Amino acid sequence: MTDHNTAVWLARIIPLLLITALLPACGPPPPPSLQQATLLPTAKTIADFNLINDKGEPFHLDNLKGRWTFAFFGYTHCPDVCPTSLAMLARVMKRLAQRNDLDRLPRGLFVSVDPERDTPAKLARYVAYFDPAFSAVTGDPEQLKLLTRQLGILFLKSPGDSSQDYLIDHSAAIVLFDPQGKFHALFNVPHEADKIASDFVLIKNYYEENG
Amino acid sequence: MKYFFAALLLSLCISPAIAEQGLTVKQAWIREAPPGAAMMAAYLTIDNTSARDQALLSVSSPRFAHITLHRSLNVDGVARMRSLERIALPAHSSVTLEPGGYHLMMSMPDKRLASGERVPLVLHLADHSEIRVTAQVRKKP
Repeated sequence: MTDHNTAVWLARIIPLLLITALLPACGPPPPPSLQQATLLPTAKTIADFNLINDKGEPFHLDNLKGRWTFAFFGYTHCPDVCPTSLAMLARVMKRLAQRNDLDRLPRGLFVSVDPERDTPAKLARYVAYFDPAFSAVTGDPEQLKLLTRQLGILFLKSPGDSSQDYLIDHSAAIVLFDPQGKFHALFNVPHEADKIASDFVLIKNYYEENG
Repeated sequence: MKYFFAALLLSLCISPAIAEQGLTVKQAWIREAPPGAAMMAAYLTIDNTSARDQALLSVSSPRFAHITLHRSLNVDGVARMRSLERIALPAHSSVTLEPGGYHLMMSMPDKRLASGERVPLVLHLADHSEIRVTAQVRKKP
């Protein structure tokens, strides 16, 4: 490379570098660095859905609003992954409850993707075992899919030992909705309660400061 | 003193079960079922200190109508559970059944099992031998 070429190259690259360095100063501060959460670049608006809660009442998108929500998708016949995840989520809530800078705890929501076997009454008793504040919803498969499709959550029946013993493959991720009911972040496995709790506080503070 | 011996006896009951063939089973526990849950999972560790490959074929218990060998897998973020015909226990190695991995799927208990209860299990191995262990019902490991 000749001196002339180098000079031309530098003349092109330096302004670019300067712009790159100064750009962040114009927009909002960069999002916090997180340990477990994957933050959506822009929170995703969710189309309305029609589910049923553990008291047998209708549950719509509006019911997600006004409060942060951690949602986990599973079924009560799942003996291994679901109890492990719900017990972990209960530990997240305990960690958050120990802090004195949160005016309100997020909602813990179990979405049963097995409406055939999981009745609202059964779900109410099931989730309360992990945390008395947890709630649950379920609904018609089409309505469940309407919600899960928008979140990238999958569920699929898989044959078991008998027709009543079927299993369900399901996404193990935990979804975080913000108080506007938007899909805000995703926590993939493996889940660690301490990391999820501290990520949540960072996400919430950033959201409150930057909208 | 009476309590001491009772405690000693109790601790013997839950001490590792050692079979003649060089297999040791330890830390056997069953996750307490949340109300309404029809299925339970049991976990344990099997050490094979012998020079011979072994395999776990099935498990039975007087307290459960049906027990299957299971494995949870995470495939691209999707939790899948599959029943297994056997769990290999290679020579000079240890296999752990733990949450999110290998486990025993326990269905139809004779009645609801509460934390602290002890449940006898019989492990049936490929060479037709058996190991008897006691698993404790617990909320967590």
